[in-house]
Amino acid sequence: MKRTRAGWYEAARKAAALVPYLAAVAAVFIALAPVYWLLTISLKREVDQFAYPPQWIGFTATLEHYRDAFAGGSFAAYFENSVLLAAISTLAALAIGVPAAYGLARFEWPRQWDHRIGDWILSTRMLPPIVTIVPLFLMLRQARLLNSLTGLAIVYTGFNLPFVVWMMRGFFEEVPKEIEEAAMLDGESRAGALLRIVLPLVRPGLAATAVFCLVVAWNEFLFALILTQTEAAMTLPVGIASRVTQYEIKWGAMSAAGVVAMIPVLVFAAAAQKYLVRGLSLGAVKG
Amino acid sequence: MNRRRIPEGFPWVLPSLVVLLALSIYPLIYSVKLAAADRRNFTRLFTDRLFLTASIQTIWLTLSALSIEFLLGLALALLIDSLARGRMFFRTALLIPMLLPPVVAAVAWRLIYNPQFGVLNGTLRRLGFHTADLTWTSGESSALASVILVDVWEWTPFLFLLLSAGLQAIPPEPLEAARVDGAGAWRIFRDVTLPLLKPTIVLALLLRTMDLVRIFDQIFILTQGGPGTATETVSLYIYRTAFRFSNFGYAAAMSFVLLAATLLFSRGLLRAMRAR
Repeated sequence: MKRTRAGWYEAARKAAALVPYLAAVAAVFIALAPVYWLLTISLKREVDQFAYPPQWIGFTATLEHYRDAFAGGSFAAYFENSVLLAAISTLAALAIGVPAAYGLARFEWPRQWDHRIGDWILSTRMLPPIVTIVPLFLMLRQARLLNSLTGLAIVYTGFNLPFVVWMMRGFFEEVPKEIEEAAMLDGESRAGALLRIVLPLVRPGLAATAVFCLVVAWNEFLFALILTQTEAAMTLPVGIASRVTQYEIKWGAMSAAGVVAMIPVLVFAAAAQKYLVRGLSLGAVKG
Repeated sequence: MNRRRIPEGFPWVLPSLVVLLALSIYPLIYSVKLAAADRRNFTRLFTDRLFLTASIQTIWLTLSALSIEFLLGLALALLIDSLARGRMFFRTALLIPMLLPPVVAAVAWRLIYNPQFGVLNGTLRRLGFHTADLTWTSGESSALASVILVDVWEWTPFLFLLLSAGLQAIPPEPLEAARVDGAGAWRIFRDVTLPLLKPTIVLALLLRTMDLVRIFDQIFILTQGGPGTATETVSLYIYRTAFRFSNFGYAAAMSFVLLAATLLFSRGLLRAMRAR
């Protein structure tokens, strides 16, 4: 059957409608190919890792590098350090920061002190880490807290605190005041109303804030690099980095460690997806 | 309310203030003392060729990465926004690079860039290209561009995410009105979408700039500032000065230059956020 002119036109229009999808797929390919490549290196036998032509699929998969890195190697210890550090510093930042956020959101402050304090707290977050790291290094050395998880946990807590205050303040402001006032009329104390009435209401926001703190602590590199220089206190990123700068690099074990290091972040990000924009823009764009 | 009394909210805020004073403000003062201990720490700033090189390269890297990331991020945001189906999938997949630990992302790119057995040259060779001159991060003239490319890969998603959210927040009425008035797609974009998106654009650019001027992790893994000084940045130079050469005073002095640059941006940032 011969196509009419209108039929050709229709076909061309359909093909053109596909172009944006092709472009989007290409963008996704570029975004994910490096991650996929790291994954394949972690699964390939050493002979296949740098074979020519590059093998994207159909190689013999092995888990030996994961065994190397985690069962026999020191990455298991780094992993444990990273988990502990992320958990402790997040809990501490929440414990200190949530009351501050509540205080700024809920009370009457004379002469806009709530805004001034809020801005000041946020501005500490904008300090480039390299500016405070020299004094922090010397301070921790004096306190004998270098190369210890405690020292790093303290630094991370301070690092995440402004973020907690800023985010949680926004969430608290969205809860109508009347809800706690009613509870307090019923005999709840201020702290009781916060714990039993308000916090459950902002639970999604609290969870998102916690996830952001966890990810920041988990990914952080510069402070960890400088403040922990012994094997025993190294975090996962520092452990991986210390292998890259060695003379002979074991790419398999390192890629395996890298893959393991990115899994929790991806899981967390999926959990907090709704709040990604808000967290990453410090709440300035409500997501 | 009695103004002389301590505000009721103050005890709630106090612990945070104490922690931040101890971990941000005290270190800053400490830093001033370190730098001021020797006046040469400041005079040296003006004669140090390496500091000049690092500063210029930091500015160059910031400006080029920022403009590429902005244009790509905006294009992607518009592209994904125009799709009828699968927006959620594309949005999620495109975000992944920026969520990874920067160290892991940089390791992946070392595997890709390696001139002899990296997958990039391997693939290009397979496609018939001549790859002997493509040295990426290990070539003096191509190293900085290669580092910028990694940053573009990693952080375009950030611009994309914020601009996407900004686009979604634009109310449909002005767009409709422009369409009814017979405006073409380009006119609508330039005269309606872009002005409404401006606050988001300003915020995204400021946030990104503040991160770019302090860039460290990726470069530390990819090139350590080399080859030679081809990818040396201010953060990296401060790091080396303090922790390789133990010259804490000079490192502190340099860090104040970086701080001044950041303060400039963060003031703009706070103002942009207040304006919303």
